[in-house]
Amino acid sequence: MNKTLVIVKREYKAAVRTKGFLITLLLLPVMMGGSLIVMALTQDKVDLTDKRIDVVDQSGILGHHLQQRAELRNQVELMDSLSGEKKAPAYYIELVEPDTVDLNGQKLRLSDRIRSKDTHAFIQIGKDILHPRPGEENSRMFYYSENSLMDETRNWVGYILNEKIRELRVAELGIEPDQVRDLFYWIDMEGMGLIRKDVRTGDIQDATKSSVLGTILAPYILMFLMFMTVIMSAVPLLSAVMEEKSERIAEVLLGSVTPNQFMMGKVIGGLAVSLTTTGIYIIGGILTMKYLGKESFIPYSVIPWFFAYMLLNILMVGCGMAALGSTCNDSKDAQAIQFPAMLPIIIPMFVVMPIIQNPLGGFATAMSLIPPFTPMLMLVRQATQVTIPLWQPIAGLVGVLIFTVLSVWAGGRIFRSCIIMHGKRPKFGLLVRQLLKG
Amino acid sequence: MSAIIEISNVTKTFDSHVAVNGLSLSVPKGSIYGFIGPNGSGKTTTIRMIMNILYPDSGTIRIFGQERTGSMIESIGYLPEERGLYRKMKLRELIQFHGELKKVTNPGREADYWMEKFDLTPWARKKVEALSKGMSQKVQFIITIIDRPEIIILDEPFSGLDPVNTEIIREVILGLRKDGSTVIFSTHDMAVAEKMCDFIFMIYKGQKVLDGTLRSIQDVYGQDTIRLQTEMGSEALKGVAGIDKVNDFGQVQEVRLLPDTDPQSILKQVLEKTRVDRFEMSAPTLEEIFIRIARPDKTSDYE
Repeated sequence: MNKTLVIVKREYKAAVRTKGFLITLLLLPVMMGGSLIVMALTQDKVDLTDKRIDVVDQSGILGHHLQQRAELRNQVELMDSLSGEKKAPAYYIELVEPDTVDLNGQKLRLSDRIRSKDTHAFIQIGKDILHPRPGEENSRMFYYSENSLMDETRNWVGYILNEKIRELRVAELGIEPDQVRDLFYWIDMEGMGLIRKDVRTGDIQDATKSSVLGTILAPYILMFLMFMTVIMSAVPLLSAVMEEKSERIAEVLLGSVTPNQFMMGKVIGGLAVSLTTTGIYIIGGILTMKYLGKESFIPYSVIPWFFAYMLLNILMVGCGMAALGSTCNDSKDAQAIQFPAMLPIIIPMFVVMPIIQNPLGGFATAMSLIPPFTPMLMLVRQATQVTIPLWQPIAGLVGVLIFTVLSVWAGGRIFRSCIIMHGKRPKFGLLVRQLLKG
Repeated sequence: MSAIIEISNVTKTFDSHVAVNGLSLSVPKGSIYGFIGPNGSGKTTTIRMIMNILYPDSGTIRIFGQERTGSMIESIGYLPEERGLYRKMKLRELIQFHGELKKVTNPGREADYWMEKFDLTPWARKKVEALSKGMSQKVQFIITIIDRPEIIILDEPFSGLDPVNTEIIREVILGLRKDGSTVIFSTHDMAVAEKMCDFIFMIYKGQKVLDGTLRSIQDVYGQDTIRLQTEMGSEALKGVAGIDKVNDFGQVQEVRLLPDTDPQSILKQVLEKTRVDRFEMSAPTLEEIFIRIARPDKTSDYE
């Protein structure tokens, strides 16, 4: 058997036989889907604690209405008609006379009531709320609570008050509310994909409605999968090589194999591990989506690109990590170098959202054509529902291919020079010299 | 005997330190060649250059009459000075892995054979981390010679081994030589080098200072050493003229003479002081020669 393959076999067996591999294999989908599952499980869980709300109504026209609506709600909307169980919290509105002399002092006192758990929130309604002048504080409404952004009560209060304001404005114009019902009927602009022609039947297929799953989750999941495979297979090479060097295993192996065979055996071993995990995930993902009836969201055309990019990415990053690992003498050295070495795979994670939002923009195009970022960012762009010009993935792939060849070459030279070098960690200048001299 | 390894005028420098300087050496096929020298003298660097792990800055290394290439690794078994093993692998699996790397036809069978020979069979299914240091060293030796290579290079093969295991490894090395292998080993144990080596090469501060058979090396130094045993011990040698250095071993004193000193004059001077139980002329031992080269400034333990 080829010597590189012997090392690949050992590396593969050493990786997949461990408990850590099995645990990671199981934990990764949990990490990816865990938050979604938690959200799904908790979305119907409502905080049923009754809530007291102080209202400082400077307009003098909305407070009572809010109080009445809260009482009505408490009478008819709190209980589930079938089970008889409480399904929503009661709201108790207490009107507070505005302090015209020291409003800020009053707001501080009301805040203290919230802090001492006497009330849940307080609302300030500006006096010009019916005829607002943009930007002025008197034309606005404020909801004060400890977690106002995520507070569902705020949404209910906002809706009730706006509804009443609209009603009052219509009444001022002398129009019957029924006459203007359509005036306030808001129509959503529904996002759709493009019309396609079925390549097999020739039938025109109706466009599918754009969804979060297809637009954001599919590209994000693919990129996350790529990120995790690199983290699982290429990044550990840094510490693995460092250990083999510090435990003097490397020189024993160099009695049987060349440094290039040694390095490539380790990198390809990592690649084989990645192919196993991604193969399991992708097949599992496809079967799950089919089972859920969401097969149309699977970006089948991107999957071959995924594997091509993954192959090159692991070779590219793996050779770099192995080379850097060979420069380290102990785990301290490895820790110091690990974060900067991971930047090529971390940076894409930071810029992924703007790229998903505008996959055809200049920023997305430029970033995805930088070779270390191409495997993750070009993949994200291709997995979105827009059509990327074909030359871009091809150019990206060629760039990554060239960069990978360079990485293997440079990694090999550094690895060969440093793997038996003990003592002080080589400085950058020496590495450059080794790179140029070989 | 034709040369299997030829090193010609090889120099290797690390930054400003010259590790090996203009070294030339010819290792005959089928011989046992001992590399000796103090720590940091350039032995390991020379071995690593033979192994193609390091490249010489200048000079050439030819193996089997050809320029050194990566593929020649197939014919060489190499045991580095500092060696490690994959600790999580099981013993048989590890030996088999190295056998596969060395393209052994039936690595499993060879693993079983060598484990049996070195009394390691009961540990075959144990992880390497469970082995003692001595066992690990035997395993390291096994993976070096599992393919019975034509050239065997051993950097300090006996360090840390007990006498029993030293003897077992020594027997295996001699057996492999008998089967046609050429053996190079470095050692600090001069007694082992004297007993086993056909040729001895000493490197000091990167330069070759000795190269040849033990007899030829000793001939260079001549019979300038007296082994002496007296009733007074080393006191008897105080003030005796013509002595360069005295190594006092307690019961016996080893006396190196100054050039052109007549040993009889030493005997006469000592007899004037005490009774002499033993007086013999001999060539210096390898250890004595080693110390003379490595510590030229040290004139006498006695002084």
